[in-house]
Amino acid sequence: MKTPKLYFVDGAVPESPAPTDTPAPWTETRVVGKSLPRVDAYDRLSGTAVYPSDVVLPDMLYAAVLRCPHANARVRKVDGSLVERMPGVRAVITGDSKAADLRWYYTRTVFTKLFDPTCRFEGEAVAAVAAETPQQAWDAVRAITVEYEVFPFVADERKALEPGAPAVHDGGNRVGEPEKYQRGDVVKGFAEADKVLEASYRTAAEFHTPMELHGCVARWDGKRLTLWDSTQGVYGVQQRVASLLEMPLANVRVIGSYMGGGFGSKLQADKYNLIAAVLAKLTARPVKLFLTREETFLCVGNRPPAGMRLKAGVKNDGTLTAFDLTVLGTGGAYPTGGTGLVDWLVRDLYTCPNVRTEATDVYINGGPSRPMRAPGHPQGAWALEQMMDALAEAIGMDPVQLRLKNVPTVSQANEGQPPYTTTGLRQCLTEGAKAFGWDAVRRRSKGDGPVKRGVGVAAGLWIAGDGGPPATVIVKLFPDGSANLNMGASDIGTGTKTVMAMVVAEELGVPLEQIQIENADTGTTEYATASGGSKTVPTEAPAVRSAALAVKRQLFELAAEELKVPANQLYIEGDAVVSTKDPKVTKKIAALQGLRRRGLLIGVGTRGPNIEGKVINPFVAQFCEVEVDTRTGEVEVLRFLSANDSGRVMNRLTYENQVIGGITMGIGLALTEQRVFDRQTGKVVNRNWHDYKIPTAMDVPADMTSLPIDVPDPEANTTGAKGLGEPVTIPTAAAVANAVYDAVGVRVTESPISPMRLIGLIAARGKRG
Amino acid sequence: MLPGFGYARPRNLREAVHLLSAPGARVQAGGTDLLGCLRDGVFGVDTVVSLSGVPDLRGIRRALDGGLVVGAMTTLSEVAAPTDVVKGYPTLAQGAAAAASPQLRNQGTIGGNICQRPRCWYFRGDFHCARKGGEKCFAAEGENQFHCIFGGDVCFIVHPSDTAPALVALEAVVRITGPNGSRSVPAEKFFILPETDYTRENVLTAGEIVTEIVLPPQPAGTRGTYRKVRARGSWDFALAGAAVVATITAGKVERARIVLSGVAPTPWRVPDAERAIVGRRLNKRTVRDAAAAALKGAQTMSGNAYKVELLRGTVEEALLALA
Ligand SMILES: Cc1cc2nc3c(=O)[nH]c(=O)nc-3n(C[C@H](O)[C@H](O)[C@H](O)COP(=O)(O)OP(=O)(O)OC[C@H]3O[C@@H](n4cnc5c(N)ncnc54)[C@H](O)[C@@H]3O)c2cc1C
Repeated sequence: MKTPKLYFVDGAVPESPAPTDTPAPWTETRVVGKSLPRVDAYDRLSGTAVYPSDVVLPDMLYAAVLRCPHANARVRKVDGSLVERMPGVRAVITGDSKAADLRWYYTRTVFTKLFDPTCRFEGEAVAAVAAETPQQAWDAVRAITVEYEVFPFVADERKALEPGAPAVHDGGNRVGEPEKYQRGDVVKGFAEADKVLEASYRTAAEFHTPMELHGCVARWDGKRLTLWDSTQGVYGVQQRVASLLEMPLANVRVIGSYMGGGFGSKLQADKYNLIAAVLAKLTARPVKLFLTREETFLCVGNRPPAGMRLKAGVKNDGTLTAFDLTVLGTGGAYPTGGTGLVDWLVRDLYTCPNVRTEATDVYINGGPSRPMRAPGHPQGAWALEQMMDALAEAIGMDPVQLRLKNVPTVSQANEGQPPYTTTGLRQCLTEGAKAFGWDAVRRRSKGDGPVKRGVGVAAGLWIAGDGGPPATVIVKLFPDGSANLNMGASDIGTGTKTVMAMVVAEELGVPLEQIQIENADTGTTEYATASGGSKTVPTEAPAVRSAALAVKRQLFELAAEELKVPANQLYIEGDAVVSTKDPKVTKKIAALQGLRRRGLLIGVGTRGPNIEGKVINPFVAQFCEVEVDTRTGEVEVLRFLSANDSGRVMNRLTYENQVIGGITMGIGLALTEQRVFDRQTGKVVNRNWHDYKIPTAMDVPADMTSLPIDVPDPEANTTGAKGLGEPVTIPTAAAVANAVYDAVGVRVTESPISPMRLIGLIAARGKRG
Repeated sequence: MLPGFGYARPRNLREAVHLLSAPGARVQAGGTDLLGCLRDGVFGVDTVVSLSGVPDLRGIRRALDGGLVVGAMTTLSEVAAPTDVVKGYPTLAQGAAAAASPQLRNQGTIGGNICQRPRCWYFRGDFHCARKGGEKCFAAEGENQFHCIFGGDVCFIVHPSDTAPALVALEAVVRITGPNGSRSVPAEKFFILPETDYTRENVLTAGEIVTEIVLPPQPAGTRGTYRKVRARGSWDFALAGAAVVATITAGKVERARIVLSGVAPTPWRVPDAERAIVGRRLNKRTVRDAAAAALKGAQTMSGNAYKVELLRGTVEEALLALA
């Protein structure tokens, strides 16, 4: 089984240009690794940064979408004719409009119409309006009359396969054959075990709900379309929109230099891109279409719920003998990988010779899922890491020790069981435990009163985080020594621009303030895949480095002539080129005649291929301490520590940002977040930021520690960095669940651990203090 | 998207009352709740009448009898600020501090807080429920984990306010001005149950405005507290809460009022629980008895049975905090 490439939903990626020659890894760095603030912090904070939702063009219209209010319905008739005459309305499109007669693909073979009469989930697009003001657009949308034939629905994946359950698709509610994996012999494995445990777990569906809403502005100039899109990858949107509108790529320009978060929900184009493009074409005016917050809870993705049954065998010495995992999940109404990667940690995280997994993906009448920060992994960790805790208890072993006993050096789930380039799992566990004070706090009393304290640990790895081709980057050096960095990658809030500028600074000595960055624009920047999969740093940084080195090489050639020193005996110190033999032989970059004559040096860098026969994964272990009020079921997370092996730390500050953000998001999975469908109508009842509870500052501990296991991975790529953004959230929820168990002796196998759930369990098990 | 509406900013109370007597007029205090309701289409509006230009509605002053008078336009932050309210009426200050989020407390007023509409997700959502004039309460057979265990009938909302239980516990009086003049209503009588009228949460009639809340002086030895349990640390309503005001002399409870939040369509007073502690010392046993008494008569639905156990713990903790 090869590591699936998660994010290339749209099929083949363009061929990578030949990689430029591979430089040796850095030994010492001057800029990379420092704790530096964002290069665009001022623009982001002062409001001068123009996000797609800030774009206002002369003559621009505003669009709004009419969405199906039913979980399962058929549009019998939709009438927009009266609406067309409403004040300010410039265009109305429905399933009957010729201009909107387009297809929308969920997979290569599964598609619907842009406005399809069959609405399999609440929030499916039915019609759209463009008007002079947003208010007029919404008034018009509300005035469109639709006749629906409403059908019974299924909103709970656990009921989707019951006899008589409403069929979401004609063929029934199975998305396909269950996905099966096997190595060794689990029956034999369980027979060899001293202890065998079995338990069911479930994680609730979550929403991405990024700060900036989903949407775009579309403008036509003749045959050319420009989209300002809040996206994680401009090239992916360009490709999808061009192919659906049957246009040459060259005529579709997508710009998303700033964007306000996505967490995976903006890795792909959306129907709104087409709707905006069609409306803009019809009206010959630019059209702005941003979804409302409520809409984003219905139709731009979710982290699918996962039902997991896990059986595990262990010997008294801590040797794992077998895992048997069954998963039931749903990606909603279309095939979007509802169970994808849920089983990966069970397959790969710990040494275990006998593993069997089976995942069944079903349809429900719910919004289609999209990848969400480490797809499948936090769900899998919720089951596996709670099970590891239970196994440790069953054999009387410390949970950290049990994990340490089973640290693998090879990726067992990949074909041929190749070794990892580096694995810091052992260090994450040992150094993390030490810094957390694990041994001491673990032995401490839980407290005599009704409020109990506990600590928990959980670990993880992330299947991707290796990065890889294609990526092209251009670095330009101006004659005064300042530079321009041109790359297609989106900075989704992680600090991509900052880290990449630091790589340029590292190689060329240019101060960060003197690097102009252009990014995420298919018209003017170079090819990049979407920012996701924790692969942006390991993909782009080597390409940036190679582009900077290409500039440096030319610079040294020019300097060599002027300084009469061979090019391979030069280095850059500050703003000058210096001879390695004699520091007095030096010239300021700005004073190089050759550079002035040329006007500009251009370096093109590309990302080379990854090492053959090895697997590049980041690893993590997290530790937390909680307090549980056994009278009310309230859980307070007191502190968290995340030990991460993501190879080289590129910027200590952005690194810490990811760790803190990942823990925060994981606490949401653990304690507060869940999609709630109304059982009577199949409608989502908590489609807003009050009812859908993402953690606030009051729900996360002030004491969050990031402990990087800062060991560059020289085999991973020329910067030694692996991905970070997703591993940071993988074990979080499980660590909280384990800490709650440690505190009160109640295992909460279903997320979230809300007071509503916990108080009942505490009372039922007689654990009230 | 907000609907279109007219906007008026009267300069005095009389003008405000006049404007509000027109059909389709709505009072706006801080607007934190009103605008949300309008945006979500919970109800319509013709004219929004802002009280921000009416003098004398904001601020806290000492009453002649030694009590406090809190203007309806006083913000929750002001109520929670370390002033006379905190000293004399900690239950109210804690209630105000436990509401919503800092931003909302800076903007939201105490008048608006006790008059805010319910947070039921069916009422606020895309459902034509009984309280909005529809046929049924969707919560009865639906997702009712945040709904009431006391006082439900036709509709099963809980009252959202964190200050209201304190006001009832403190025997506050709500002063109201309307087209027919002024009246005073004890806080306990201000809120109404669905069985009285399931489309309203209080006694206000068309054109009536809450102008002031009067807090009577408290006997010596009076203590108070508000304990609130929520699913999220901020920006969230009570799953269950208990406002307690008790006068304790020589170690014994002389007088007590216990009022619950998050469990009923109104602030829910539990006289049985009060009786369980009056004349006694607050200790583990009496507190346990009182909590048990507070649960009497609870009627749970498919998703809110947890509230019984939760309420037990909440009441115990509130009472122990006074011991
Ligand atoms: C996300 C969120 C979370 C919240 N969490 C909590 C919470 O945990 N606890 C809590 O108690 N509250 C909570 N609230 C509610 C918040 O406290 C109220 O919105 C606020 O107190 C209302 O005050 P306002 O001045 O903004 O009222 P407005 O929004 O102006 O008015 C609210 C309602 O009362 C009417 N009204 C206002 N003033 C008067 C008056 N003087 N006389 C008659 N009618 C009047 C209005 O017509 C309107 O119907 C929350 C609100 C939000 C949005």
